[in-house]
Amino acid sequence: MKKKKIGVYICHCGGNISDYVDVEKVRQSVEGEDIVFIAKTTMFACSDTNQRDMVDDIKANNLDGVIVASCSPKLHQLTFRNVSIRADLNKYTYVHANIREQASWAHSDNKMGATEKAIHLVKAAIAKARYADALETNKIKAKKAVAVIGAGVAGMKAAISLAEKNTEVILIEKEPFVGGRVAQWDSLSTTTETGKNMVKRLYSELTKHDNITILTNSEVIENKGSVGNISLKVKRTPRFIKASACHPDDLKRAIEVCPVEVPDEFNFRLSNRKAIYKNYPSEYPQIPVIDVKNCTRCGECEKVCKAVDFTEKEEILDVEVGSVLMATGFDSYTPEYGEFGYATSDNVITLPQFKRMIDTQFDKLTYNGKQIKNIAYIYCVGSRQTDGENTYCSRNCCTSTIHAAVTAKQKFADINNYHFNRGLRTYGKQEILYADSLRSGDIYLQSYEDGLPTVITEGKKTIVKINDILTNGREIEVEADLVVLVTGMVPRADNTIGSLFKIPKGRDKFYNEVHMKLRPVETVIDGITIAGACQGPKNIAESVNSALSAATKSYSILSKGELETDPLVATIDPEKCTWCGACEAACPFDAILKVEKDGKTIAEINNTVCKGCGMCAPVCDPDAVNLIACSSKEIMSMIDALV
Amino acid sequence: MAELNKKSAKILVFSTEKISDPAIDMAGLLKLHYPPTVYTISIPCSSGIKPSWILYAYEKGFDGVFIAADGSDCVFGESCTEKTGHLVGKTHNLMKENGIEPARLRMAAICSVCSESFVKQMRTFNEYLLKTLHA
Amino acid sequence: MENPIKNISYDALVIGAGIAGGEAALNLANTGFKVLLVDKELSVGGKMIMLSKVFPTLDCSACITTPKVSEISRHPNITIFTGSEVGEIKKISDHEFTAKVTKHPRYVRVEDCTACQLCEKACPQNVRDQYQFGLIGRKAAFIPFSICSPKAAAIDIDNCTLCGACEKVCPTNCIDFTQEVEVMDLHVKTVVIATGFDMFDAKKMPRYGYGQYKNVITALQMERELAPTRPFNTILRPGDGKVPDKIAYVLCVGSRDASVGNPICSQICCMYSIKQAQLLMGALPMADVTIYYINIRSFGKGFEEFYQQAKGMGVNFVKGKIGRISEKEGGNLLLRYEDINEGKLQEAEHDMVILSTGVLPNKGIDKFFVNETLALDPFSFVGQSDMLASPAKTSIEGVFVAGTATGPMDIPDSILSAGAASSEAISYLIQQA
Ligand SMILES: Cc1cc2nc3c(=O)[nH]c(=O)nc-3n(C[C@H](O)[C@H](O)[C@H](O)COP(=O)(O)OP(=O)(O)OC[C@H]3O[C@@H](n4cnc5c(N)ncnc54)[C@H](O)[C@@H]3O)c2cc1C
Ligand SMILES: Cc1cc2nc3c(=O)[nH]c(=O)nc-3n(C[C@H](O)[C@H](O)[C@H](O)COP(=O)(O)OP(=O)(O)OC[C@H]3O[C@@H](n4cnc5c(N)ncnc54)[C@H](O)[C@@H]3O)c2cc1C
Ligand code: SF4
Ligand code: SF4
Ligand code: SF4
Repeated sequence: MKKKKIGVYICHCGGNISDYVDVEKVRQSVEGEDIVFIAKTTMFACSDTNQRDMVDDIKANNLDGVIVASCSPKLHQLTFRNVSIRADLNKYTYVHANIREQASWAHSDNKMGATEKAIHLVKAAIAKARYADALETNKIKAKKAVAVIGAGVAGMKAAISLAEKNTEVILIEKEPFVGGRVAQWDSLSTTTETGKNMVKRLYSELTKHDNITILTNSEVIENKGSVGNISLKVKRTPRFIKASACHPDDLKRAIEVCPVEVPDEFNFRLSNRKAIYKNYPSEYPQIPVIDVKNCTRCGECEKVCKAVDFTEKEEILDVEVGSVLMATGFDSYTPEYGEFGYATSDNVITLPQFKRMIDTQFDKLTYNGKQIKNIAYIYCVGSRQTDGENTYCSRNCCTSTIHAAVTAKQKFADINNYHFNRGLRTYGKQEILYADSLRSGDIYLQSYEDGLPTVITEGKKTIVKINDILTNGREIEVEADLVVLVTGMVPRADNTIGSLFKIPKGRDKFYNEVHMKLRPVETVIDGITIAGACQGPKNIAESVNSALSAATKSYSILSKGELETDPLVATIDPEKCTWCGACEAACPFDAILKVEKDGKTIAEINNTVCKGCGMCAPVCDPDAVNLIACSSKEIMSMIDALV
Repeated sequence: MAELNKKSAKILVFSTEKISDPAIDMAGLLKLHYPPTVYTISIPCSSGIKPSWILYAYEKGFDGVFIAADGSDCVFGESCTEKTGHLVGKTHNLMKENGIEPARLRMAAICSVCSESFVKQMRTFNEYLLKTLHA
Repeated sequence: MENPIKNISYDALVIGAGIAGGEAALNLANTGFKVLLVDKELSVGGKMIMLSKVFPTLDCSACITTPKVSEISRHPNITIFTGSEVGEIKKISDHEFTAKVTKHPRYVRVEDCTACQLCEKACPQNVRDQYQFGLIGRKAAFIPFSICSPKAAAIDIDNCTLCGACEKVCPTNCIDFTQEVEVMDLHVKTVVIATGFDMFDAKKMPRYGYGQYKNVITALQMERELAPTRPFNTILRPGDGKVPDKIAYVLCVGSRDASVGNPICSQICCMYSIKQAQLLMGALPMADVTIYYINIRSFGKGFEEFYQQAKGMGVNFVKGKIGRISEKEGGNLLLRYEDINEGKLQEAEHDMVILSTGVLPNKGIDKFFVNETLALDPFSFVGQSDMLASPAKTSIEGVFVAGTATGPMDIPDSILSAGAASSEAISYLIQQA
């Protein structure tokens, strides 16, 4: 084989690298390697100018490969593969060395060590480049359909947007009704439209598109395949009610006669509901449901309502899609027992409960039969914790609380609002709401970071105490008829779906995006996007923006109907293979076939199914299996270069 | 300067492209320092490491090998944990056969945001190796 | 690609090539639509390409912007006009707009310029460098900044004396004083407005002394001092070039203040100030950095942790509004403020003050349109006709808005907003077909 000629480009990264790594020394240490034809340093390897230089160098010198030593390949592998393509060089002959995250930054305390390491890393990349072959990408057909999981505002909006782009959508909602949290809110901040109306509007748009299938009461239970061709199994629990035969009066009676009462989660357990139920009159779809978990099959409802049908069966549906858009939303934080008097004091409730209270009561605001006048709001409960895990701010609760407080004051007589906050975060235009509330006479008290307010119960009285920053640390007490704990947003407690799709979580345990600044809706798993509050706390507009962004990304993956996949798959050496079947057993994707070749039984890799995990490689006793680009000869020569 | 020139052990880390690499990169971003003689080779999945590579690393002079495993986050499936555990067990046996102290091979699951835990692992492993090999 | 050919019709016109416009253009182009991306500046990249690092990841801003920029500038479906303005957008019918684009001459043939900087060296005219926010000067023949795209020189004709020095030294003879203003009539099917934001002019609050005291600068200027391609290669105060060691940040300058006409919060300045404070602590380990604030708005993903990290590093946070700043002999500054924690009026001396100025709308965006009215919101940002359910829709059907043109937001929110605008635009284009 003719000796390779490669180019090595070592980036200063405008000082991010060169402040700690002596890039010139790195260049000198590698320029003498046999296959290195060009070794250069550059201020910004990713800049247009340098990219142009690389293309010129490759073409002018007929290089067979290039190495860029710069930041993490997560950021720029694509950039430089594209440079190769523009220079008519196979993109798989390009090798990356990460000398920023793994050298200059990680060892900014030790310049000599960082430089030494960078030299080794570049040498290892050269070792790898020696074996890097030109490869052809695999082309696979992609299914132009997207499964949207969760029908909150984010999921509904994403579904509509995809359908408008002539893409088939399967919208899967685990509850019997669509709308998510927003269906639970009546009045919303920054608009006169109610949450329920917004849900209604989105639902009617959904039903206009015949390429959307809405599956309520449904959950994904199996996930197979990968981007372009994902096969899901969806379990649909029946409603036990025939839509066509449903008569409103009969139904009302059926609900009346049902003997089972369970806490109503829709109302945040403020009240109870029956086992046959609807949450609110205009709910979508407009068919009530029997909650199988609690139904005792006593048959009372069946007697009064013809629509009840206990013969309906659970169904398992097969869904084939090219991409999955996750929009499973959030839970509200549940305070610990006794946290600010929660569950130990009669007059302490959470913000979502308070929202439901003010939405469902008229004229007078009462709780436990008592009229409410003084309301104390304690902010950041379950957020910004200094001793708990939720160190983050929930972003939306300051605004929602002030809005709820202002709404309560407008709707009910004699309300006094006391806001026990930790510094208000009504960012952006929401500031206006804060200003309005101040003008209406709401009182704001701010605690010191190390002295949160306390809730004390004295007989029937509930007192909130604070050392208030805004009045120079004075101890202030408010006797409150109602204490509202401003509970933040937390990830859904049930993460079965996240585990099923292997979606990584961030430090805050919400789903994590690939790149916090520039790629907020994509995940490390190709073809899976995340939208709405499952990625982190968001208000409605922010959830919708992210839903539309995720829809665009999912669409742009599938719009061509064809996908390119990396050819970095496993290979079998037919000489060495003795067909013991170990690799077949190890492969999680059934990509290994038993074939007869030249009179010998051997294993063969199905390239379009193999995902290149390499699980088959270590189990092969005769060492017949290798992964392209991570073969033993590559790894071992890298080890040689690193010691 | 004395502090900076302090000897550190040579550790080879097998990291994974989607899970532990991001954590190791983030350690750099957060300037969480660890010995500069820690080198990573990135592969798709920790269950694809051949025991022969690990033995080769010792043969060539690495003091320790660390597998930054995918753990239950592995994008290729649940079986990763078990398979990685299996290959580590197999390698430990081979190490014993070859007279290499099995404690020179460590493994821990490093999730995509486990930067601090990665750095802690590197520091303690380094200390251990220095104590046992370079004392 | 920067295309000299005046392709007369495009699927989408994207106005403004900051991160929002760039993202929107890429999304449209990646799904097969032809895009014209227009920016009034000499480079694409908007504000983001000028920033130092970004909160809360501390990624180097140039490093994460340039690949985006190069993807945009290379995309076969994207045509870029820099140094160009848009006007007289007329809606002719559904899915049909006409627009006038005025391309100002650069007096340099971009294709031939190698950015060798010889013209810059030869040019005798020194003027204020707008791309370094006036921290340093530049020549009349100049390359806008080191990572600009297109990377080519330009002649600032207003300050050029036509001495011809640059023409003589240019090795590729690409300087061309005969270039003229080009006006093009275009047909497009949809429009995305991504014209970004303006900064509050700190001179409008004379009590802080900006423009009068040399050591009072704005946060945007500090971004440049901290950037990898920074003008001085170190942090210094402009008054005398001394390295500062007692630095103050004044937050909410021109925000949350009805008396200057801007009652809203700018959403990014708390965070960018905390970011700069952290970077300063890194660059000048001996320096004291104090942030004077009303409330700290660290609300986004990773923000609160970033704020706590700054506290942990030793950044002082003082809750108090600055009343007045005065200059002492030698250039130090005296800040008078009400310390809310202590409950009394205080004075503090600092040797450098950074004003964290707020985000304002760019003016005149509604004037782009002739036969339809582009509604603005009460703060003069581009209005959203269905703020919650379709945040990118404007009062004109087929015209969408992306990024900070609708209100203050950070980079990821701008990306999401651009994602929404391009999504709506793509749907609009597909529905037409
Ligand atoms: C007290 C309070 C008040 C608020 N007030 C306002 C306001 O006034 N204005 C405003 O803009 N925002 C407000 N918000 C924020 C708003 O509720 C959120 O922005 C919005 O709900 C986010 O929408 P989403 O679709 O991402 O999530 P969700 O609303 O949580 O919807 C997620 C959906 O996914 C479904 N799901 C979950 N897991 C699965 C699964 N495994 N399979 C299938 N489906 C699943 C859920 O059942 C749900 O229907 C408020 C929030 C709170 C807590
Ligand atoms: C000091 C400072 C520090 C910051 N730090 C951070 C940070 O660390 N992290 C973070 O997330 N965010 C940060 N930001 C915010 C960030 O800069 C913005 O979120 C982002 O730049 C918004 O992008 P945009 O595209 O909407 O607007 P812009 O960047 O303003 O881009 C708008 C573009 O439109 C062009 N344009 C305007 N009018 C016209 C016209 N009439 N015709 C043609 N073109 C026009 C402009 O020339 C410009 O190129 C910071 C902001 C400031 C001021
Ligand atoms: S939004 Fe307000 S109440 Fe919610 S966590 Fe943040 S600061 Fe606390
Ligand atoms: S205009 Fe000419 S002299 Fe100036 S940078 Fe370009 S090529 Fe060099
Ligand atoms: S983000 Fe912070 S500094 Fe900026 S206006 Fe809002 S509160 Fe003031």
